[in-house]
Amino acid sequence: MAGRGKLIAVIGDEDTCTGFLLGGVGELNKNRKPNFLVVEKDTSITEIEETFKSFLARNDIGIILINQFIAEMIRHAIDAHMQSIPAVLEIPSKEHPYDASKDSILRRAKGMFSAEDFR
Amino acid sequence: MTLVECSENVDEKLLLLMEQLQLLEEKRNTLNTLIEQGWLSMSKARYSMGNKQVSTLQYASEMEPLVRIHVRSQDSGGSEVEFNTVRLETGKDVTSVEDIGPQEEGVRKRTRPKGETATEKQESDKLGREKVPEKKNQVIPQQDPLRWFGILVPQSLRHAQMSFKQVIELSAEIASLQVSLLNTKRELRNRLQDKQAVQKETQVSDR
Repeated sequence: MAGRGKLIAVIGDEDTCTGFLLGGVGELNKNRKPNFLVVEKDTSITEIEETFKSFLARNDIGIILINQFIAEMIRHAIDAHMQSIPAVLEIPSKEHPYDASKDSILRRAKGMFSAEDFR
Repeated sequence: MTLVECSENVDEKLLLLMEQLQLLEEKRNTLNTLIEQGWLSMSKARYSMGNKQVSTLQYASEMEPLVRIHVRSQDSGGSEVEFNTVRLETGKDVTSVEDIGPQEEGVRKRTRPKGETATEKQESDKLGREKVPEKKNQVIPQQDPLRWFGILVPQSLRHAQMSFKQVIELSAEIASLQVSLLNTKRELRNRLQDKQAVQKETQVSDR
């Protein structure tokens, strides 16, 4: 697997997934499991969380791209993920622009700037 | 280690962290602009093709990734990780010349002349066995995802594809940057702890 490289997984709305699949990231493996999830109005949070965790567990995925408004729904699961691989990247969606203050990574990086640290 | 050295170490890491944060913000802005361009082009394509012509319904039943990520650990501990994208060629480029004619190589002789010896037979069997794996090694053509949406797709859909290809490459760079940012933050925290320990020591010795 290391020789072939890893995949990019996508959890997003229809337009985000279609765009990234156009870019050529899509895969259906031997078990017909896709590396993307199209989140629609009727998609439950449990389903999103389970898919996210299944992507984390797969060792053939290197990066998970997720719309920020969907990341907000499963924030606890994203905050709990501390490993470098797979890297989780929050991206904007059509209706929800990217907000850096909500990003898990940036909050982790900026979280240390307290008065206590610089005494 | 003196207090001055500790402070210099902390300053060095803090400056690095600030630089990385700035770079990340720049890359993020570029990524957001590219994604917006991609959506706009996709909407234009929808306008000319019809609302339901660019949707999940057109996804292919078989998908092979055309982009893969190569993950490289830069240090032995594996904490510093770099992501690089590798794009595979699509089918159009891989099989540029179409094969015409029978798929099986050569013509089989079903009625053998009586004079054929046993050794010739063995040789021909051997050749036959050797030829079989060659066919398996042929490259399976990859389908360009643009073809899911039709043969003659509008130019705007091609533009959308170009934008998202750039977004994919940029997202790998951002992922690498995020990992190094978290590492720098960890190192900075360690240096701060070192500095605080030295500060305490000097305070005790002064008394």
